Amino acid sequence: MASFPPRVNEKEIVRSRTIGELLAPAAPFDKKCGRENWTVAFAPDGSYFAWSQGHRTVKLVPWSQCLQNFLLHGTKNVTNSSSLRLPRQNSDGGQKNKPREHIIDCGDIVWSLAFGSSVPEKQSRCVNIEWHRFRFGQDQLLLATGLNNGRIKIWDVYTGKLLLNLVDHTEVVRDLTFAPDGSLILVSASRDKTLRVWDLKDDGNMMKVLRGHQNWVYSCAFSPDSSMLCSVGASKAVFLWNMDKYTMIRKLEGHHHDVVACDFSPDGALLATASYDTRVYIWDPHNGDILMEFGHLFPPPTPIFAGGANDRWVRSVSFSHDGLHVASLADDKMVRFWRIDEDYPVQVAPLSNGLCCAFSTDGSVLAAGTHDGSVYFWATPRQVPSLQHLCRMSVRRVMPTQEVQELPIPSKLLEFLSYRI
Amino acid sequence: MDGEKKTYGGCEGPDALYVKLILSDGHEFIVKKERALTSGTIKAMLSGPGQFAEKEADEVHFREIPSHVPSKVYALCMCFMYKVRYTNSSTEIPEFPVVPEIALELLMAANFLDC
Repeated sequence: MASFPPRVNEKEIVRSRTIGELLAPAAPFDKKCGRENWTVAFAPDGSYFAWSQGHRTVKLVPWSQCLQNFLLHGTKNVTNSSSLRLPRQNSDGGQKNKPREHIIDCGDIVWSLAFGSSVPEKQSRCVNIEWHRFRFGQDQLLLATGLNNGRIKIWDVYTGKLLLNLVDHTEVVRDLTFAPDGSLILVSASRDKTLRVWDLKDDGNMMKVLRGHQNWVYSCAFSPDSSMLCSVGASKAVFLWNMDKYTMIRKLEGHHHDVVACDFSPDGALLATASYDTRVYIWDPHNGDILMEFGHLFPPPTPIFAGGANDRWVRSVSFSHDGLHVASLADDKMVRFWRIDEDYPVQVAPLSNGLCCAFSTDGSVLAAGTHDGSVYFWATPRQVPSLQHLCRMSVRRVMPTQEVQELPIPSKLLEFLSYRI
Repeated sequence: MDGEKKTYGGCEGPDALYVKLILSDGHEFIVKKERALTSGTIKAMLSGPGQFAEKEADEVHFREIPSHVPSKVYALCMCFMYKVRYTNSSTEIPEFPVVPEIALELLMAANFLDC
């Protein structure tokens, strides 16, 4: 069973450049389950990187220091949990602002992570409540962790302290995501078949339960303008929700197996979903059309084979910051970098037991977490985007596909703007 | 020396550093040739079969672009600066913000210029 389309010569595909690795420390009880690294995440301002290290802990490292370490000390970096190996700090009092490493013990297996930072002008949705236990200020960075027992714990990244404990889900909280508009609205996706919407500016008040999934919910993602939420789950489910009214907009049909990851493009015009049916689909979320298919198994499996154990499950998908590249992780021990206009990968990298991946905030690095709690980093393929593409992203950030179709421009440009080329 | 005037290369001949872009109403722009060539359209115009051997100056006529539409002229300049600035840059590719109000016009101009 081939990993690439027949017309592609596998040897010609460029191998990505490794940037570094963060290896999990060996622990005395490493036979027990709980070593897995199910999520990696970068802070929205690029200051921190977090991963669920296994053994119920989350490690937070200041990202720029981490990158510097990779460059200075070579690529391997075994993190020793007993020594917080901080670089020598200046004694001139700059310590208060310097980000520090933290290891957070969450008390239960960590399945999901999300960073959130608040924009003070964004009001909480509740009415007129003056007294709040937490006033989230401008320079506060939060980390939400979703646990095995359904609880969500909210931590302050700079101090490592626990701020809030959200209790409502009855099963594993498989994914968490903050609204990108800085309102500190948090959405959690759980194996209890629901998604819940929490308002952290209102002390974590749960505002809404989104029901509709018939089975486990695996992942969720906000559109960049925070108006839409995509949730994906078992039994081929891909749903789009309107986040002003909390109603379901539509179901996207096409996958043949559980859908486990989703991500919007930076202009919100594209949605990528990854499934155990060996495929990543790129959809137009405004009308539900499938625009691209990224296959990981060739010849493409028949629906029966795709719907079962086919050894080629795609575990994670992530859109790059430039809106042109997508990264996917599959069980054939490879990370693939794709361009949205080619149906075969432009770069690959070897990775065993990969479970999750995420691009850094500036898009220059891809981080992937593995089954044994380690994280690996690669340089993403960089390319100067065409001015046409930059214009397209600028237009699509504010215009859905239906409005684009009404524009008085030549049809070729219409197709380009709708990502149909 | 003080008082010496700076002189620039001309638009004449095959080694010309500069190229002249002439809009539909006669306005002329003189742009560095290296920058103008980032546009596929201009490159084709300069090296196409219509080039006369005895042609002295490198000129490109844009009969569709009038000078009173500032966005289109702006788009021309943006195309040149953008690609040349970042194509051979080994450093991080910085953000290039495109304001949504002009994005559509700029897209059409960029599409015309193939850049």
